[in-house]
Amino acid sequence: MKVSLFEQVPYRYMPDGYEDRYSSVVTAPYDFVEPARMQDSLVSAYAELMHGARAGLDGICVTEHSQSSYDVSPNPTLLASAVAYGAQAEGLDVAISVLGRSLGKTREPLKIAEEYALLDCISGGRLIAGFPVGLSYDANLNAAIPAIDTRDRYREHRELILKAWSEPDPFPWNGRFEKYGQVNLWPRPIQQPHPPIWIPGTGSPGTLREILQNDYAFVYLSWDGPKLVGQQIFDRYWELAEQMGRDANPYRLAFLQVVAVSETDERAEKEYVQHLQAHYRSGLGAVPATAFAVPGYAEPAAVEAMVRSGGSGGMLARMKTATYREIVDSQVAIVGSPATVADQIEAFVREFRIGNLLVMLQNGSMPRDLTEKNISLFAAEVLPRLRPIWDDEGWENHWWPHGLRAMDTVEAAAAEEVA
Amino acid sequence: MATSEAPVRDETVEVFGGRLRLHVKVAGDGPPLVHFHPLPGLAWQPLLDQLAEQHTVYAPEHPGTSPGDPQAIREVETFFELLLVYEEAVRALGLERPAAVGQSFGGMIAADLAATFPRLFSRLVLLSPIGLWRDDAPIPLMEMVAGPPEDTPKYLFAHPESLAAQAAQALPDDPDQIPALIAQTTWNIGCTTKFAWPIADHGLGRRLHRIAVPTLVVWGRDDALVPVAYAAEFGSRIRGSQVEVLDDCGHAVQADQPERTWTAISKFLDS
Repeated sequence: MKVSLFEQVPYRYMPDGYEDRYSSVVTAPYDFVEPARMQDSLVSAYAELMHGARAGLDGICVTEHSQSSYDVSPNPTLLASAVAYGAQAEGLDVAISVLGRSLGKTREPLKIAEEYALLDCISGGRLIAGFPVGLSYDANLNAAIPAIDTRDRYREHRELILKAWSEPDPFPWNGRFEKYGQVNLWPRPIQQPHPPIWIPGTGSPGTLREILQNDYAFVYLSWDGPKLVGQQIFDRYWELAEQMGRDANPYRLAFLQVVAVSETDERAEKEYVQHLQAHYRSGLGAVPATAFAVPGYAEPAAVEAMVRSGGSGGMLARMKTATYREIVDSQVAIVGSPATVADQIEAFVREFRIGNLLVMLQNGSMPRDLTEKNISLFAAEVLPRLRPIWDDEGWENHWWPHGLRAMDTVEAAAAEEVA
Repeated sequence: MATSEAPVRDETVEVFGGRLRLHVKVAGDGPPLVHFHPLPGLAWQPLLDQLAEQHTVYAPEHPGTSPGDPQAIREVETFFELLLVYEEAVRALGLERPAAVGQSFGGMIAADLAATFPRLFSRLVLLSPIGLWRDDAPIPLMEMVAGPPEDTPKYLFAHPESLAAQAAQALPDDPDQIPALIAQTTWNIGCTTKFAWPIADHGLGRRLHRIAVPTLVVWGRDDALVPVAYAAEFGSRIRGSQVEVLDDCGHAVQADQPERTWTAISKFLDS
């Protein structure tokens, strides 16, 4: 399987009790931020992503959020670009996964087409193109897109970007939201007709069906861990795949998991407890529930189902007060020695057929030295146990960048020759 | 103030080249009057019964807000198209210069229709309409819509505890019906805010001078959604208009001050 380092860019110095007074998005006050600490928070994220690439993770992943204290990443291609260049300069074979620029939110979809194409070029065809709709607060409050237009804009923008990448000649675009007299992209992706496309989603049946129809990969970014909602979402996905005549290739599925590794279970708890709690409480826990669904963002049937079930069944509603024990027992975060962590991950990866795992190894207030230790230990002692998980089934990862797959083939041929 | 409850019937009119079936509630008898509802959709309220005593009231439901027809909103892409839809509907219903009453979001629609089609209506009543913007008097519409539902009453009512305010927010007795109602209201607000987001300013202020019919503007002095400063703003831009500002009254004037609101409206419509 492929394992990538997923990183958000939180401000790492949130004051105690922040979540009792403020939201972490949209209206989050800036007056407590110290410029030097903001610099430290941002630079650490760049450094840790490079550390992950050097440590041998298969890819790096970044996301986009505006007006947010838990992910100060208004344009993830900026971050990805630095890592793509660094990796290229050092000869590191790492996928650059942008999960991504929000297509429902953007007012300049061709900028996204250009930025992704540029990343694919400088990385030598190692880009994974994430096409998220965008969270409601980001699209509808920060970017002020009427909520009911979010998904229609998403579809139009995706279609436009795909055409702009692969259409040989300049073309006009007369869309509902965008009009261009002449679309003629420079540069265009090395991977043609397009880089592998990953769609982050919350697992609604409509979205899953569309992903399978188009043969994209589904990325489940839930922060809920595998236990609470995994069964429901993944079973639904594989059932739909079967119904729609798609194979059971585990690489169709990517999943995000928060992980914290130390030498022993006891030491892991001691080192990570405060940072994990802070992450959930002042970060995701401090996003008001209403910010995830401004009226019009979700279809009436989805809202009705949500009201009937009393929420998502996940941790989100409880994150503000989550204790370390709840976080660990529910597997919202998997924490412990390399053996503990590898056992737990391997079990759910096999159960749910996850081919692309994203591990989030920095959280909340976690400082750079501890994060880099987490990355190093994970890469050295957990990763080797996870990599061969799907080898015996012989699937090809069609959702992995060509630049790297070519490399795999060259290496495999070389290895065969040696043998 | 005893009001008989008029029987209300449903009509649909086909508009926009047959692409849209607009649902219209109709009640009463007398000269025609078109009512335009606020953000959460059409709720048949005492004010409509009062209007129906002397008028045939036509109360269209904003596209997408009619139960069972949520996707109708996709047929209306722009605010301009929304105005065309209503202008077509008035003609399709065969109404000859009806009076128009618009509340809040519906007030913006009614005012813009009267400005865009100066011969469409005979009279115009605007109850605390949105549609203008002043930097010194921001309208917290986005904050209300995206905020927790329990905060909504404080934007709408001077007295959230009053019977009329409670009635306006009442949930059904049958708990099984509540999720569907919440989903419907949420979607309705999505359908209306499509044309009011993030700031409901489509340039109405630059067109209000075109309104050529007698106009009444009613406002609550304590309006916490659209500050009372906008009453004078509408009043000064609509030639010959009459402005009534009600004391001890919030945004939902007909709920906070039903009698004084009705007195102002009925006097104006009778004159």
